[in-house]
Amino acid sequence: MKTIALIGLLALAAPALGSSQARPTLAFRGDAGFVWVRSDSAAVGTGGPARMRGPVLGGEGRLVYNGFSVGVGFLSGTLQAADQTVKRDLVEGRLVVAARPLPWLEMSVGPFVRAYITDSSTERWVFWQARARVDAPIVAASLTSYVELWRALSSEVNLLSGAGRVQGGEAGVVYRPPQRPYRLRLAYRLDDAAVGGGRSGSQTLEAISVSIIVGGW
Amino acid sequence: MTRAAAVLAMSLLCCGARVLGAQGSDFLGRGVRAYQALEYDAAAVLLSQSLGRDSLADSLRARALTYLAATELFRKQRDSAVAAFRQLVLLNPLYRPDELIFPPQVTNLFQEVRRTTRAIAVTVPAVSEVRPRAERFFTARVLASSLADVTVTLAHEDGTPVRQLYSGPVADSLVVTWDGLTAAGAPADNGRYVLRVTPRTLTADGPRPRQVMLDVKQESPDTLPWPPELGTPPLLPERTSAGPAFRSLAAGLVVGAAAVALPSIMAQGKDATGARFAVGAAVGISGFVGFFAHKPRPIAANVRANGALRDTWKKKLDQVKGENVNRLRSTRMVVRAVPETIAERGSE
Repeated sequence: MKTIALIGLLALAAPALGSSQARPTLAFRGDAGFVWVRSDSAAVGTGGPARMRGPVLGGEGRLVYNGFSVGVGFLSGTLQAADQTVKRDLVEGRLVVAARPLPWLEMSVGPFVRAYITDSSTERWVFWQARARVDAPIVAASLTSYVELWRALSSEVNLLSGAGRVQGGEAGVVYRPPQRPYRLRLAYRLDDAAVGGGRSGSQTLEAISVSIIVGGW
Repeated sequence: MTRAAAVLAMSLLCCGARVLGAQGSDFLGRGVRAYQALEYDAAAVLLSQSLGRDSLADSLRARALTYLAATELFRKQRDSAVAAFRQLVLLNPLYRPDELIFPPQVTNLFQEVRRTTRAIAVTVPAVSEVRPRAERFFTARVLASSLADVTVTLAHEDGTPVRQLYSGPVADSLVVTWDGLTAAGAPADNGRYVLRVTPRTLTADGPRPRQVMLDVKQESPDTLPWPPELGTPPLLPERTSAGPAFRSLAAGLVVGAAAVALPSIMAQGKDATGARFAVGAAVGISGFVGFFAHKPRPIAANVRANGALRDTWKKKLDQVKGENVNRLRSTRMVVRAVPETIAERGSE
């Protein structure tokens, strides 16, 4: 499944690669945000259903080559329950291969790892994501909105009774200040993962983030 | 057989017509030869017969009347001679017997008759072209055997007056012109008109009125078509389109709504925080910003370019209008004299 998705993505990017004479460019994005996690599964380290939240920092770097890009992303933060009795670290990492078959459409695929770390254990989610992002320009070259949806092609989780459906989405707006080399992004993200085929509960992650982007994304 | 008979009949008809047409001049020729042979009785008969033919041309008729008058004079029929000369004067007031052919007693009698016979005539060209601005007028020549006061008028065929062209004396001949306008100064309409020469005082022994029927037709020149109306293109849009504004608004509202609805779509039945509303509102507001940023507004460069195009178009239009006015001013009028009504033969 993963191989098929990767081949499909490369096929989409192939025409752009074949006709391109441009040089590769690098792009970076730095994120600062706030995350809410709602878990009603019996995850190790939480002692049962929990609601946690906390600030996060992250970033992503991409190598962009005329509509085709490869990127690596990272996010980290510390989450606490409202009563501050439970505390754990959140760490996310992803590898993404993306292609832009149309100017307003980006399709990507790649592995995604999320871990909830406590002093005694680590709950680790690993899944392969297939993502589709649609850009909707509001003011040409300065203000663009976007919606991105994704779904896991496969998923694994330790400590729990197996991962079920995992999917999510993101919506936001990107603003490029006049005559500035960077862009600013405001985004809302939601990921939802069923545990044990939905019979053992689920985990929902919400995040709001402000980002700064440098380079052509 | 039938075809041969038809051809024969047609040939006889044609030859008969020629014979009949030739008889008038034939009688005239034989009458002149009889006159020259001093056979005045025979000459009188032959010349009278030639005048009895309607087909005889006016010039031959004038010659026949002259010889008839001379013949009657030498036959001691002075009254008949006077009557023949009177007809001659009425036929053509300017006609004069050749003094090399006819002896003085004949020409003297003619002058005597001419002085006592007051006649007028009018001659017009068969076709005239009237262009007032080019000073090309319709001309009519009024002839008078002796001094006469006449009025030359133009009227519709039904008698409605159109314009008086002349009123005054005519000593010998007079050229009357018409510029194609009515008494009101308007160009005469197409139609049939009557040019009438009338003695100002009608008396029993005075000249009879003469008239000529005229066919008048305006012939307008072709005018130039107006330049085509300016459209788009070549005119450029003078305001930006409203499409981008509404597209921006739609993008902001749809994506904002998607942010708000994301939990309902991707995590049904789960409680979600209010963070999505903040982002949804921000994206929605961005849509409104985009709407106002793309609001239709005048494009100054296009307005200027269109102004230049419109000026050029208006100049072309004015040129065409001016040219058309000039062409319409040069409208020509063709006046055709109806041949069969050149003179009133019956009035004599």
